[in-house]
Amino acid sequence: MVWEIAEGVQKAFQLIVSGDFAVIDATFRSLYISGTATLLAVSWSIPLGILIGSGNFRGKHLVKGFFNAMLGIPTVGLGLILYLFLSRAGPLGIFHLLYTPTAIILGQAILITPIAVTFTANAVESVEPEIKDLAKTLGASETEARLAVLREALPSTFLAVIASFNRAIAELGVAFMLGGSIPGLTRVLTTSIALETTRGNFEFGIALTMILLAIVFSLSFLVNLLKRK
Amino acid sequence: MNLLTLHNIEKRYGNKLALCNVNLEVKRGEILAVVGPNGAGKTTLLKIMALIEASSRGEMYYGDIKISKDKIEEFRRKFTMVFQKSVFFNTSVYENIAYGLKMRKLPKNEIKQRVQEALQLVKLEGYAKRQARKLSGGEQQRVSLARALALETELLLLDEPTANLDPKTVSIIEEAIADVNRRMKTTIVIATHNMFQAQNMTHRTALILNGKIVEIGKTKEIFTSSTRLQSFASLENVFSGNAEPRPDGTTIIDIGEGIKIQAAINTCGKVSVFVMPEDIILSKRPLISSARNVLKGTIIEISDFGSIVRLRVGVNGLSFVVQITKRSFLEMRLNLGSKVFLTFKASSVRLV
Amino acid sequence: MNKTIFTWITITIIAVTTSIAGTTYYFTITMQGRRRLVVSTTTSLYDTGLLDAVEEKFEEKNPIDLYFISVGTGLAIKHAKRGDADVVLVHAPSTEYTFLKEGYGVCRKIIAYNFFLIAGPEEDPAKIRNLNVKQALTRIIEAGRNGSIVWVSRGDDSGTHVKEKTLWASIGFNWTVLREEGWFIESGSGMGKTLLMANERNAYTLADVGTYLKYRNEGHITLEALVSEGKELINVYSVIAVNPEKVSTVNFQDAITFIQFLTSQECQTLIGEYMKDVYKQSLFNPAVEILKQENSPITTWIREYAFFNGTECPSDYRNGHPELYK
Repeated sequence: MVWEIAEGVQKAFQLIVSGDFAVIDATFRSLYISGTATLLAVSWSIPLGILIGSGNFRGKHLVKGFFNAMLGIPTVGLGLILYLFLSRAGPLGIFHLLYTPTAIILGQAILITPIAVTFTANAVESVEPEIKDLAKTLGASETEARLAVLREALPSTFLAVIASFNRAIAELGVAFMLGGSIPGLTRVLTTSIALETTRGNFEFGIALTMILLAIVFSLSFLVNLLKRK
Repeated sequence: MNLLTLHNIEKRYGNKLALCNVNLEVKRGEILAVVGPNGAGKTTLLKIMALIEASSRGEMYYGDIKISKDKIEEFRRKFTMVFQKSVFFNTSVYENIAYGLKMRKLPKNEIKQRVQEALQLVKLEGYAKRQARKLSGGEQQRVSLARALALETELLLLDEPTANLDPKTVSIIEEAIADVNRRMKTTIVIATHNMFQAQNMTHRTALILNGKIVEIGKTKEIFTSSTRLQSFASLENVFSGNAEPRPDGTTIIDIGEGIKIQAAINTCGKVSVFVMPEDIILSKRPLISSARNVLKGTIIEISDFGSIVRLRVGVNGLSFVVQITKRSFLEMRLNLGSKVFLTFKASSVRLV
Repeated sequence: MNKTIFTWITITIIAVTTSIAGTTYYFTITMQGRRRLVVSTTTSLYDTGLLDAVEEKFEEKNPIDLYFISVGTGLAIKHAKRGDADVVLVHAPSTEYTFLKEGYGVCRKIIAYNFFLIAGPEEDPAKIRNLNVKQALTRIIEAGRNGSIVWVSRGDDSGTHVKEKTLWASIGFNWTVLREEGWFIESGSGMGKTLLMANERNAYTLADVGTYLKYRNEGHITLEALVSEGKELINVYSVIAVNPEKVSTVNFQDAITFIQFLTSQECQTLIGEYMKDVYKQSLFNPAVEILKQENSPITTWIREYAFFNGTECPSDYRNGHPELYK
C-alpha cells in the first residue's frame, strides 16, 4: 500500500517535471473551472450571506438552516438534478450547455453556494455588535457603519471563499455528471482520478491526487500567511 | 448656553422602560456627572445623547436647533462616546484612532498629527503600530479615550471610563479628561459610579435612579444638600432587586447574579437598597457572627485616601465598596485579587 | 460604499466573462470548423482505452470531434433518450431491443464480442475450474449457501449486471431473490471496484475480460479466470444511433459516419489487435466479418444471444441506411 502511494508521489513529480500534457491540461482546467465557479458563487453568495448574517427577519433561522443542511448535499445528487435541467430534454436544454466547461462552472457554483453563504453569514454574525455603535459614534454614517462591520468580517469571509474553492476543485459528482470528462474540454483533476482508477492506473490516480492536494495545501498555506500579516 | 437639551426623553426596550421622562440640559464647557447604580439607565442615556440610539419619545436640541431624524448623521459628528467596554476594529492602534478622522475626510498629514497628539494625551506614544486588540485592559481604555479625543468633538460622552482599572491608568485618564476640558473647552458628560470621581472632577452632577433623573445640581451643592445623593454617594453600594417578605418580618432581596441579601425592612416588589461601606466588615476568613449576610468575593480595585482605603470587591458580577483603615489594610496584607469575605447585618441594608 | 459596489460589480463581471470567454475559447480551438458527436458508452469499452485509439483514427479522417461519455449501458441509453447523446455503445441485447422497439434506437450494428468470465480465488473452494457455465453457477450457489464462498454482484444496471441476471435465470434462479442471501453481496459500482472487492473478500464474480486482464496484469488482483468460455458467457458490443425522428436534436448524419467507421475493415482490425501484444490475447474480437460466415459456432452463439428476429437490426429500424447491412 505504502509502496503504491510512494510510487504515485514519484510518478506525480515525473509527470509534472516532464510537463505531461494530459496532467497539465487537467490541472489548469480544474483551476480555471473551479476558480471561475468560485468567483461566480461569491458574486451572489457573499451579498446573500451578508444579508442573512446582518438581517433580523422572520424565518432567518429557516433560511440559515436550509443553507446549513445544503452543505451536506452529495455532489452526485446535485449533479444529477442539474443534469436533468441542462439535458436537451430538460428546461435549459436549448442552451446546449451539457458537457461544456460552463455546465461544470454553473454546477460547482451552485454546489458551493451554501458554503459561501453560511460562512459569510457566520462571519458577519460573529462581529461584535458594538462595532456598529463604535463606527457611528466615531462619525460614520449608517452605511459606513455597516461597511465597518463588513470589514471586520472580511478575514473570515476570505476563508469562506477559499473553503468554497477547495470544495469545488475537489468535487467529482458535478464535474462528471455535467462535464462527462471529455479530454481537452471537460476533463478535470477529479474526473481524471476517477477514470484512471477505474482503468486500474493507480499510480497515475495517486499522482493526480497529489497535484490536487498540492493546490489545496498551498492555498491554505497562503491564507495562513496572509492571516498572520 | 446649552450645548444639548433633552426634553421628555423616554426609552423602551419591548415592555421595559429604560428611561422615563428625562429632562436634561448640558451646558457648554461643563463636566457633568451622571451617577447612579448599575442598571439605572446611565448607558442608555449616554447612547441616546450620542445619537447612536434613538429615543422612543421626546426631543433633543443642539443649542436651539431641534435634532430631527434626517439630520442625525450630521449632528452625530459633533459628539462622540467612549464605551465602558472597549471595542476595537481588528487593526492597529493608529488605524483605530484614524478611523473617525478619515470619516471626516481630513487630509492625511492632519490625521497623522492628531493621532500622535491623542496618543500623547493618554501617554501611549509609540503605540501606533500595535494591534489594538492585543493591548492590556488599561491600555485599551486609554486608546479608546485617545480615539475619541482625536476627533476634537464639542461633546465627549464617557461611560464609566475608569471602571475596573488600576490606579495609574485611572489618573492618566482623569488627567486627560480634565486637560481637554480646560484647554479645548470640550463639554464632557461622564457616567460613573465612582463618587470620588464625580465629586472631584465635575461641575454638576445628575443622579439617575430607575430610569429617572431624581436630582441634578452643582456638584458641590448636591453632594452636601441632597440626602439621596448623599446616601448614594457616600455609600455606593446601591442595588436594585425584587424583595420578598419573610414571615419573620425581614425581607430577602434578589439583587441579581445569584446574590440574595437579607434586609430588616418590611417591603416587597422592586426596590433599591444600599449598604454603607463602613457597615461592611471585611475579613480573610468567614466570621462567626449574628450578621445575616456573608458574601465571598475578590478585591478588584484599591483606592488609597490616606488614612482610609476604599476597596471594591467583586462578588459574582456585582461589586461592593468597603472602607477600611490603612492600618488594617496593611495588616491584612490585601492585594488586587485577594479573596475576602464581606459580612453585614440585615439591619444595615437600607432603602434608597 | 461606492468603492465596494464597484469592486462587487467588477468581480461579477470578471466571473461571468471568464466563464463565457473560457467556454467559447474552448469551443473555438477544439472545434474549428469541426462538428461534435456525443457518444455515450459502456465503461468496459472506454476503460480499456480502446475508444481512445478509435477516436484518434476517426478524428484524423473526419471533421468530427468525438465526445465519449463513459457511463455504463443503463445510463448511456437514458442519455440517448433525453437527447444528450447521438450514439450509444452498449452491450446488453435485451435492453437494446427495448431501446429499438421504443423507437429511439436505429441502425444497430454489432461491432465486437468477447467473453465474460467467472473470476475466483486461486484455491477455488467451490471447485468450478473448467466446468461449463451452468454447472459452475450451480456449484457456486451450493457453496455459497453452505457458507464456504462469497459472490460479488455488480448490482448496477450495467451490461455486465444484465448478463449476470440472465445467467442466474438460465439455471432457474432469480437475482432479486439471491441478493437477499447472506453470501451474495453487491458492490453497486463499476467493474474495477467490483473486482477489487471480490479480490479483497476472496470471492467469486462475473467480469468482462478487458477489465479483468488489465487489473490482473497490473497486479491489483490475484483472482483467476476460472470459467471463461462457453456460449452463455458471450458478450456482444453494439453501436446504435439515436432516431432523429424521435429526438430532433441529435447529430444523426455524423452518427452514421461513425457507425460506418466502426464497421470498416480498418477499425475492425484495430479492435482485434488492441492490446494484443501486451496481454497475449485479444481484449475484443471484431464481429463484422465473422457474422457473414454461416457455420462458425461463434456466429451461432452471437445470433442466439444478440439477434432480434434473426437479424442484428430488424429492417424497420434501419432508418434509410440499408447499406449498413449488406
